[in-house]
Amino acid sequence: MNSLRKYDTALFFLFIMPWIIGFIAFFLIPFGTSIFYAFTDAKLPGAVHYDFVGFDNFVHMAKDPIFTKSLFNTLYFVVLGVPVVTAGMLLLAMLLNLDVKGIAVFRTFYYLPTLVPIVATVIIWRLVFNSEFGILNAVLGFFGAGKTDWLGGEHTIKPVIILLQVWISGSGVLIFLAALKNVPRHLYEAAEIDGADRIRRFFAITLPMISPSILFVVIIQTMYNFQMFTEALLLSKGGPNYASYTFVYNIYKSSFTDLKFSMAMSQSIFLFAVIALVTFVLMKLSNRFVYYEGEK
Amino acid sequence: MNDTRKSGAVSAAFKYVLLCAVFLLFAGPLAWMLSTMMKTKAETYKAPPALLPESFNFEAFERLFSIQPLMWTWIRNSFAISILVALGAVVSSSIVAYGFSRFLTKYRDRLFPIVLITLMIPPSIMMIPSYVLFAKLGWIDTWLPLIVPAWLGGAYYIFLFRQFFLTIPQELDEATYLDGGNRWTVYARVIMPLSKPIIITTVIFAFVNSWLDFLGPFLYIKNSALFTLSVGLQLLIGQTSQDFPALAAGAFISIIPIGLLYFFAQRYIVEGVVLTGSKG
Repeated sequence: MNSLRKYDTALFFLFIMPWIIGFIAFFLIPFGTSIFYAFTDAKLPGAVHYDFVGFDNFVHMAKDPIFTKSLFNTLYFVVLGVPVVTAGMLLLAMLLNLDVKGIAVFRTFYYLPTLVPIVATVIIWRLVFNSEFGILNAVLGFFGAGKTDWLGGEHTIKPVIILLQVWISGSGVLIFLAALKNVPRHLYEAAEIDGADRIRRFFAITLPMISPSILFVVIIQTMYNFQMFTEALLLSKGGPNYASYTFVYNIYKSSFTDLKFSMAMSQSIFLFAVIALVTFVLMKLSNRFVYYEGEK
Repeated sequence: MNDTRKSGAVSAAFKYVLLCAVFLLFAGPLAWMLSTMMKTKAETYKAPPALLPESFNFEAFERLFSIQPLMWTWIRNSFAISILVALGAVVSSSIVAYGFSRFLTKYRDRLFPIVLITLMIPPSIMMIPSYVLFAKLGWIDTWLPLIVPAWLGGAYYIFLFRQFFLTIPQELDEATYLDGGNRWTVYARVIMPLSKPIIITTVIFAFVNSWLDFLGPFLYIKNSALFTLSVGLQLLIGQTSQDFPALAAGAFISIIPIGLLYFFAQRYIVEGVVLTGSKG
């Protein structure tokens, strides 16, 4: 019996071996070395000669004005972007949850942009937002508005990127739609009998009942926006005048343009610490607001 | 009586107006891409722009393939990589998930939480460390950084498979053992044949995610002959930023495979996304 158990344990490790190899090779080792290199002055990935510099990288990082700018931009996407995108998703989900004829047609289309490769999305947005030949300025012009240089304006680029996030927010909408469908109908019926109006029903029933999904979407979106990079790189190259230059953009530039890999590692670790902290706080705070069914 | 019916009709009309606005927001930019790719280059320089092309012509596609002769290579590369990734995800993740769902050992409950924790690690903090690793392995400018990790069990797919395997009754395993089967027979002959829905979901998800991946191929591949379509299009934007119809045509081509997949297998995509949300 005992030897059989041992044999079984060995077999268990054999079956999960692919994951163990992947976990060690593509997670533990890179993560470990990055912590190591963060405290050195290594320039290139294969550097042989390097010195330990303690917390120098972190001190330099904090002194760099570009770093401060990137931090501000990233916080913009988190503090402003996450609520806007989440509210957008919820609003869309509620619209698509309406009980009207032909709703299936509408439900097919909202998810399509989410499946568009990001480079293609950026091409499309450049066509739409082009200040001279784009359709958006043409439509706005029809209503008498002047031309706006959406992608070239320091004040417009961040809102345009947030709007782009709403455009590709299909997965979040889908999660909210599923949550809305799971709210028991009888709760609404009871509230209606008690004379609660639409707004009251939303705040007293819908919101608490789907709060676990809201927490999930907020956490995922927060993590994503802390890592905002690809959109800013492709749409505006971090510009104009660093207006869309984010924290991860800074990591990318440190390593591939400035060739300071150790600095990039320090920045990555800093970002990891920030994301971990914020996620932790979100989860702790949520205990007070999130309602789980079956819990007392 | 009449009043409520009238207000019902008004609110229904209001709902449709809202829905149409949403529809325009989501389908509008895609329609603009379709319209632009059928215009001539001169037509796209008109201000204000026309909503529709004067005639439907597909010169943009000819121009696209002559400006960038590597287009076909990129399309082929994207298919090759995405198919290899999808295969790897199904094979490796299902084997690992079998381990995590059918063995009674204390290590199982200690290791599985680690699988879930890796799901929460922000990928961009791994961007540079992974690059350093791949550089040391000599994998830069190959497809290996994109494909090998997929063959070593993705945390999300392991989770999906395990959830599904747990719903398959253990009695089937025991019957197989009585017939002289072993662990591998149970996995290959009993569990997997019963898991078609989750296999299809994983294949589609892994294929789509690989097709949509930009950062991976962008960081690890410098040789344009090895590019995926996404990274190739990025190069194209740099080459011909003013040829709007050709760019629109390129964007359109990169959407087709997944667009088709979505229309034929919408159910599986929706299921996969909803499963992610419900675990939270």
